[in-house]
Amino acid sequence: MPGIDECLLEAMTLPGARGAALVDWTSGLALGTAGESPVGDHETSAAEAAELARAAAEYESFAPAPAPGGGPGGGPGDDGDAPVEDLIVTTRTGYHVLRFVTTNFDSSLFLHLWLDRSTGNLALARLRLRDLAERLVL
Amino acid sequence: MTGGVSPLLRRLAADRATGALVRDHGTLYLVDGQVVHAESPVAPGLDVLLAGGSDRRSAARPHGARARRIGAGEREICRLGALFDAAFFALAPGRGPARFRYGAEPRLAGAGRPVPAAAVERETLRRRELLDDVWPYPALDAAPVVPRPAAPGQSVTARGRALLSRADGVRTPAQLAWVLGRPAFHTVLEIRRLAAAGLVETPAPAPVPDPAPVPPSGAAPTADPPDIALLRRVRDALEAHL
Repeated sequence: MPGIDECLLEAMTLPGARGAALVDWTSGLALGTAGESPVGDHETSAAEAAELARAAAEYESFAPAPAPGGGPGGGPGDDGDAPVEDLIVTTRTGYHVLRFVTTNFDSSLFLHLWLDRSTGNLALARLRLRDLAERLVL
Repeated sequence: MTGGVSPLLRRLAADRATGALVRDHGTLYLVDGQVVHAESPVAPGLDVLLAGGSDRRSAARPHGARARRIGAGEREICRLGALFDAAFFALAPGRGPARFRYGAEPRLAGAGRPVPAAAVERETLRRRELLDDVWPYPALDAAPVVPRPAAPGQSVTARGRALLSRADGVRTPAQLAWVLGRPAFHTVLEIRRLAAAGLVETPAPAPVPDPAPVPPSGAAPTADPPDIALLRRVRDALEAHL
């Protein structure tokens, strides 16, 4: 059960990690940051990443398909579960992994990890972020 | 207005003051010039947010055994969110002068990392701009929320639906925030977005249009009842320059 800073520092130990942040996608507030920002200013990158995350979290097209056994379906519900698990953006020089964080109270959070393309390991980063997102709220 | 939100806050931060900055819409608690806690009657506190709001429907989440266990990380996240939320409203332009009570301590401050006053001020300004970028009708923020029917084929986000289902035409954004257990700013922002999408009625703008240009100095002498809103704007502008 690490705190915000411990969680981000642990994310920064991943190979190729350049920057990490915990961001609220409704307001665009960075609740914590570590390392560099892609634009030199964590507040700006948090606000920009938040817009991307919000679109993914709210647009119906990205909601999980309804469960085959009937039931209420997998769409974004009222229960606080994030409909999207993560978002990956790749560029010529880097990777961005945005991992949604589910909490027991009403929130709209994600972890944003920025990796160097040549030294980063996308698969490992994805797994580790999932783990961190879960432990952050334990 | 973009010069800052509170000249007094800046001075207190520079002096590394400890105490309570009491303003019209809330209170900021400082220790060594940094913000450790904020309260506003508009913004739900940590307890309400962690409990999932006063509305049972939103509190009853199908998380089973995990439902009410709040870990240290969650508490820290929620505390920071609540601090910035209450600070946003506490730093809203007020009517009376701000006061500072040296040495006053918050009753309910949870332990946690203090936030630099400058970060609180920057975030408050950023939030004001965000609201105006989304839908520049501040009258929405305090008025009862009146839903409008969705256009055929128009989809509403899950969070928007949760909010609209509790908007009975009487509750204000702040009351909805308490019911839903969401930060008040998030609720206000969501309502601006819903209004921009035509899903909430936008009330008629306030009689005096807002962005306050400094009025020409000779324009005042009217024998009619004083224009209170204008006087307030002049006073706020003067305060901002002190």
